[in-house]
Amino acid sequence: MTGSSENNNFLQRLLPPRKWRMAATIAVGAFLGLGFYILKLSNAASYLSDDPKACVNCHVMTPQYLTWNKSSHREVASCNDCHVPQDNFFNQYYFKAMDGLYHSTIFTLRAEPEVIKAREASAEVIQNNCIRCHDTRITDPKLMATVEDHEVHRTDRTCWECHREVPHGRVKSLSSVGYQIEPIPMYESEDRDVIPKWLRAFIEETDEEQDSIAAPQKSQPAIPE
Amino acid sequence: MKNWILLLLTIIAVFLLALLANTIIDRKAEARFAYQPKVEIEGIEPRDSVWGLNYPRQYQSYRKTADTTFRGLYSTSGLADVLDDQPELVVLWAGYAFSKDYNQPRGHAHAVTDIQATARIGSPWTKGDGPMPSTCWTCKSTDVPRLMNEMGVTEFYSQKLSDLGSEVINPIGCADCHDPATMNLTITRPALVEAFEAMGKKVTDASHQEMRSLVCAQCHVEYYFAKDLPGKEGAQYLTFPWKDGLTVEAMEEYYDNIDFADWIHPLSKTRMIKAQHPDYEIFQMGVHAKRGVSCADCHMPYKTEGGQKFTDHHIGSPLANVENSCFVCHREKKEDLVSDVYERQRKIKEGTGYLQKQIARAHIEAKKAWDLGATEAQMADILRGIRHAQWRWDFSVASHGAAFHAPLETSRIVSSATGKIQEARIGLTRLLAELGHNEPVEMPDLTSKEVLQKYIGLDMPAELESKKRFLEEVVPQWLKEGREREAATLPGNNNRKIR
Repeated sequence: MTGSSENNNFLQRLLPPRKWRMAATIAVGAFLGLGFYILKLSNAASYLSDDPKACVNCHVMTPQYLTWNKSSHREVASCNDCHVPQDNFFNQYYFKAMDGLYHSTIFTLRAEPEVIKAREASAEVIQNNCIRCHDTRITDPKLMATVEDHEVHRTDRTCWECHREVPHGRVKSLSSVGYQIEPIPMYESEDRDVIPKWLRAFIEETDEEQDSIAAPQKSQPAIPE
Repeated sequence: MKNWILLLLTIIAVFLLALLANTIIDRKAEARFAYQPKVEIEGIEPRDSVWGLNYPRQYQSYRKTADTTFRGLYSTSGLADVLDDQPELVVLWAGYAFSKDYNQPRGHAHAVTDIQATARIGSPWTKGDGPMPSTCWTCKSTDVPRLMNEMGVTEFYSQKLSDLGSEVINPIGCADCHDPATMNLTITRPALVEAFEAMGKKVTDASHQEMRSLVCAQCHVEYYFAKDLPGKEGAQYLTFPWKDGLTVEAMEEYYDNIDFADWIHPLSKTRMIKAQHPDYEIFQMGVHAKRGVSCADCHMPYKTEGGQKFTDHHIGSPLANVENSCFVCHREKKEDLVSDVYERQRKIKEGTGYLQKQIARAHIEAKKAWDLGATEAQMADILRGIRHAQWRWDFSVASHGAAFHAPLETSRIVSSATGKIQEARIGLTRLLAELGHNEPVEMPDLTSKEVLQKYIGLDMPAELESKKRFLEEVVPQWLKEGREREAATLPGNNNRKIR
């Protein structure tokens, strides 16, 4: 009982005096409202997904997105497959949250470097993820038996010390992007069609006509079968 | 007092939150401009140079399709006279414009100049002149989608080539395959969409990887001009014969069923089909297509320049760029890869080289049979054999790349064509003997283009003389009119918005 009365006390002490309650309610409401607005504005829900497009919500990741999008990994691995631990659910989201907060802080402070590099913690995660998919390749007993110092070479360095182009290429920076439109959500309309509008209109028009016109008569082949 | 502090803190927190919201809005606005093109491409922009302001790397590499220096085993990106090299083709195409002039194709950048320069289109002095319909322009220019949009598709197909001489001045380019707003790949030619519909498929369902081939399949396919379709009278309507399938037999049957003939051969009186360039269809039957490789994977491999990875738009033979194309999958020596390609080409060429000479002889022998009084009934089976043999031969050579794209399918086609022409020639031998001619038919000199062109009744010196004048007098006028029409909408002009 004491706990509850203390709690009551505490809450009561938080409550502003009666004549300020209105102002305080409005201030808290504004706080919450703005908070939700920011969640929406920053596309916060997209960060719960594995969609690489979430990573280009901020344009500083464009070089990384573009290089990945033009690599063989595009077909098999999303950003999260490599850059977030995949050992267990809690670790995955904890790391993602911490990394995300770090990114958003740096980005908000406009402190992003021209060339983004993986931090140590991040590098470890990436290395583990390389191994996660390519384990049969690097632990292949044939290679162990035939390639000199195979064990050493694959354990005393990161994969990308040799495989430098994978997958983001050797040279990348904010200024090496050039003008490119990529199909990222911001630029892609919802009614996207592989056929331009004028041609779509024509095709639909002929479809309607064909329904009203009888199928063309086959003429008799002059060449005897 | 505490409450005052609490209120103050909340207000500060709200203030900071609002600041945060503000920077998010700022940075989102930035993203709209960062890396975004500077020139707004309005409507259907046929000029690559305007797109090039936004995409200099793609544009500059595309400009290299003007290069004519590539030499393969049999092919080149320069102009090489095929009729000079293989004169018997003059007999195969007698009565058809290809017997006048047929060159190795040059790159996309030459599409308009080369069609203007070929003797095949004649010398149309005024609008409405000349043998060729406007449909011939369909695959030559980015002006085509613009014109189809402006005048209507059926109307576009209903004119003469010479009617649109000053309208079509830009060679194949950006607007043929790209959506200017998103740069996504797009299909701008109705024939491909219609062919998919005829097969009961939807081109809209194509994946990105399929689109990397389908944009090429807008043109690099077998096609014919369907005349006087119901509701489209007067139009030479560009159509792909894909309804029953993409194999040579399926299309042959399609053509037989509608009794289609591109022309009637003046020597043998055969109702002929000219195969165009079924690159896409044949490629679909090869092992690379089976493994999911697209046209662009080899003909437009990725390239890196100053830290930017982009699609090399210098479309041409992958043999000119083995390192970027083949090496992505094949870790072999360059020489080995190139010689593997040449080996296939050489072996297929053995078959087609023999085959085309047999077909030439068959046409001349058939003429002899007609001259000796053969009846239509006697000739029917023979002509059908010639029709199918030459169609199949053409199907296997016309796309230039068949020997590599699908060597097994191509040699199958060549074998079947060889069988058909030999049967036709056996029939001819019997018929000729029956008609009292029991000895080899006298042949013209099958090794000279000039002799054969005269033999089939062409006056090439006169044609070429008139062509020369046409190129000096008419074409510059077309270009001048076209450029004047375009000048009004150049970027930098006041009528144009620059972002």
